[in-house]
Amino acid sequence: MPMNDFSQIWQTALIEIKGMVSPANYSTWLSTTKIIRESEGVIHLGVPNEFTKEWLAKKCHNSILKILRQINGNVRALEYVIIKDGERKEGSSKKTISSPTIAMPLQDFYINKEDNLNPRYTFENFIIGPFNELAHAASQTVIKNPGQTYNPFFIYGSPGRGKTHLIQAIGNEIKRQHPNKKVFYLTSEKFGSDLLNSFQENKTQQFKEKYRKYDTMIIDDVQFFSGKEKFQEELFHLFNTFHDTGRQLIFSSDRHPNVIPGLEDRIRGRFNMGMTVDIPEPDHESRTAIVRSKSRMHNISLTDEIVEFLSSEIEDNIREIEGIVNVIACQVQLKNRDLNLNEIKYLLKNSAKPKKNISVKEVVKIVSDFYTIDEDSIYNKTRRKEVVKPRQVAMYILREDFNISFPSIGEKMGGRDHTTVIHSYEKIKEDIKTNTLLAQEISQLRTML
Amino acid sequence: MKIEVHLSQFKKMISLSEKIAKKNMTLPVLSCLLFEVGKNNLNIKATNLDVGVEVMIPAKSDTEGVIAVPAQTISAFVSQLNDQDGIVKMELVSGNLHLSSARSKVIIKTVPAEDFPTIPRVTEGQKTTISSEALIKGLKSVWYSASISSVKPELSSVYMYKNGDYVVFAATDSFRLAEKKVKVDHSVAFDDILIPLKNISDIIRVLEDIGGDIDMSSNKNLISFEGQDVYLASRIIDGTFPDYKQIVPKGYATEAITLKQDVINALKVSNVFTDKFNQVKFIVDPKEGYFEIQTKNADIGENATKVDSALTGERIEINFNGKYIADCFQSIDADSVSFQLGGMNKPMVIRPASGDGTFMYLVMPMNR
Repeated sequence: MPMNDFSQIWQTALIEIKGMVSPANYSTWLSTTKIIRESEGVIHLGVPNEFTKEWLAKKCHNSILKILRQINGNVRALEYVIIKDGERKEGSSKKTISSPTIAMPLQDFYINKEDNLNPRYTFENFIIGPFNELAHAASQTVIKNPGQTYNPFFIYGSPGRGKTHLIQAIGNEIKRQHPNKKVFYLTSEKFGSDLLNSFQENKTQQFKEKYRKYDTMIIDDVQFFSGKEKFQEELFHLFNTFHDTGRQLIFSSDRHPNVIPGLEDRIRGRFNMGMTVDIPEPDHESRTAIVRSKSRMHNISLTDEIVEFLSSEIEDNIREIEGIVNVIACQVQLKNRDLNLNEIKYLLKNSAKPKKNISVKEVVKIVSDFYTIDEDSIYNKTRRKEVVKPRQVAMYILREDFNISFPSIGEKMGGRDHTTVIHSYEKIKEDIKTNTLLAQEISQLRTML
Repeated sequence: MKIEVHLSQFKKMISLSEKIAKKNMTLPVLSCLLFEVGKNNLNIKATNLDVGVEVMIPAKSDTEGVIAVPAQTISAFVSQLNDQDGIVKMELVSGNLHLSSARSKVIIKTVPAEDFPTIPRVTEGQKTTISSEALIKGLKSVWYSASISSVKPELSSVYMYKNGDYVVFAATDSFRLAEKKVKVDHSVAFDDILIPLKNISDIIRVLEDIGGDIDMSSNKNLISFEGQDVYLASRIIDGTFPDYKQIVPKGYATEAITLKQDVINALKVSNVFTDKFNQVKFIVDPKEGYFEIQTKNADIGENATKVDSALTGERIEINFNGKYIADCFQSIDADSVSFQLGGMNKPMVIRPASGDGTFMYLVMPMNR
């Protein structure tokens, strides 16, 4: 009989054991057991609690072992493992308690203590689009051969593009595909505070050993190592240990390692040694897919028009999309009906873009500094080319991002007619579509505001 | 075999262990107390395979041996005895236990003892010394919030962990959450523990009996508490408690501070008029300066009670399950209580308004 057919082996064994013990003892101690796994002839028997473990070990260890050996000659030893409730009650139907009290979203906050990974982050709920398919493909290679092909694996991209989701999903998937590999996820902040604590308590050796026992380390947001020499030094040693022994390292950051300031060259070089991929701004189709998938998760139906509106309105940040869908779901639940486009526009105005209050003067200053022209020239009547463009850009930003009315923009920009402002706004809006340089300039300006 | 014990000690220990021995259809010996008779002592053991307890009392005996006695029977007899300084004499005669005190005498049929399980010890675990008062205080402050449904074992548990100089206790059934911090000696150290709700009352009872400092040991599956003459082992849940701190709101939009007794009284009245969901409506209006609790029941009538309070923030009308709110006052020692509301569909936080602030309670609102 092959060793891998555990349940059959155990069923056969139980029939014999049944004859040896009293029915009371059988149903108390043996009926809930099962073979969990076998390795090199050692059978691991899953039992529900310490009592059962003690009883079996004391009262019938030898006879069980004898019976198992008769069934399969390869069995050398028998060990008892206490299994979790969940593992025993497989397929027990989950009852949902209907209560008028709103339940806390606790399911979002389970974190596995052993590896620190959030089991919610998986590839099943990771949306792949043209913008992140490279990162996704590289991740699959890492999962297939952890520590071999791309080591380290470095992912960078602006906040809210799914870096944490991706690297945690890699961790969860490595765990699933390679059950004997130990994975550990932590943020660079946690790494730092652990290191500081170990300094204070004089336990640096323990700190080193703690992390070195893992096969895959995932460190999130490494840009926070910037300027922290002690942390970088420790990371450097950790890196070498991992890299030399063929163990996988995965990093994430909000920018390319070459442009993280305050990073020692040796760390920078090491970050770049393996595979460095970017998660760029999600394209329109991907945003649409994300909006649809998030709304499905909340069981709300959005019309195509609304999906289109949301995906064109929120461009950069997936987390923001998630946020606004949450808000819509909450409103749908509250009002007990679907929302129309206007209501959603209103919601979006309130929640998605909490804009700083910034004066026209400040915007003009930033724009003129950016184009290195004199601030006053913007307000003047001059039509020199190098001034006209910045002036139009400033008007466009004031209208698009700050929703200031056309007449008041005109008035504040040196008493111009509102039609002039409308023209400028329309012109830049059109130009962005064809002129990528201009689009880049404006997005850079936006980050400066 | 002849045994002699002091009645007062015997009575106390029988009642302590008897509550753990329950009727068990599949293994009848589990409804018994196991008497392990030594030369100078008597060990009494009881278990329901979830909790196991062992107590020791001094005894005089002529031989060593083991007897299993039906727990209910012996407890019913012993609890009736009142002679505080008396002695109980026991003798095993052909499978029957003869018990006699100054005035009465009973004969109890014993049960074969060989099937009685061993009470497990914590192996390869952490051991620490902690005051039983701290443990009792912590467990009692939160355990009513744990889930009674066993669908999620980690929620039908009390979560216990060390944080700085405190041991933190937390429990939630996902509709409300209680957290209590208890200051302990900084030498106390252990990994996070999830104790099943159904074992908590047994643990509290045994801890109350031991008193003083106790040795607490735990590994992944078992926790034990050990005092001079008492040992208790309980199964623990090998699982993860949700990272509940993420749910606790950082701020609030409306706050009402009231006398605890005033709210308790108001809730008692409103309780008469609640519907089957115990729905109570809180109206907090800082502008108009009132905090009112309303209940309504189509079959009985309705009620509105104003509670004197200090109010800040925005007006809010919000519904809760009144039972959840009433539950938490048992854990608040302070005279005044603060209710902090974040807005519609957001949880309410209840804290003592004075004192050391080591207790926090969070209640989720009702849908409509």
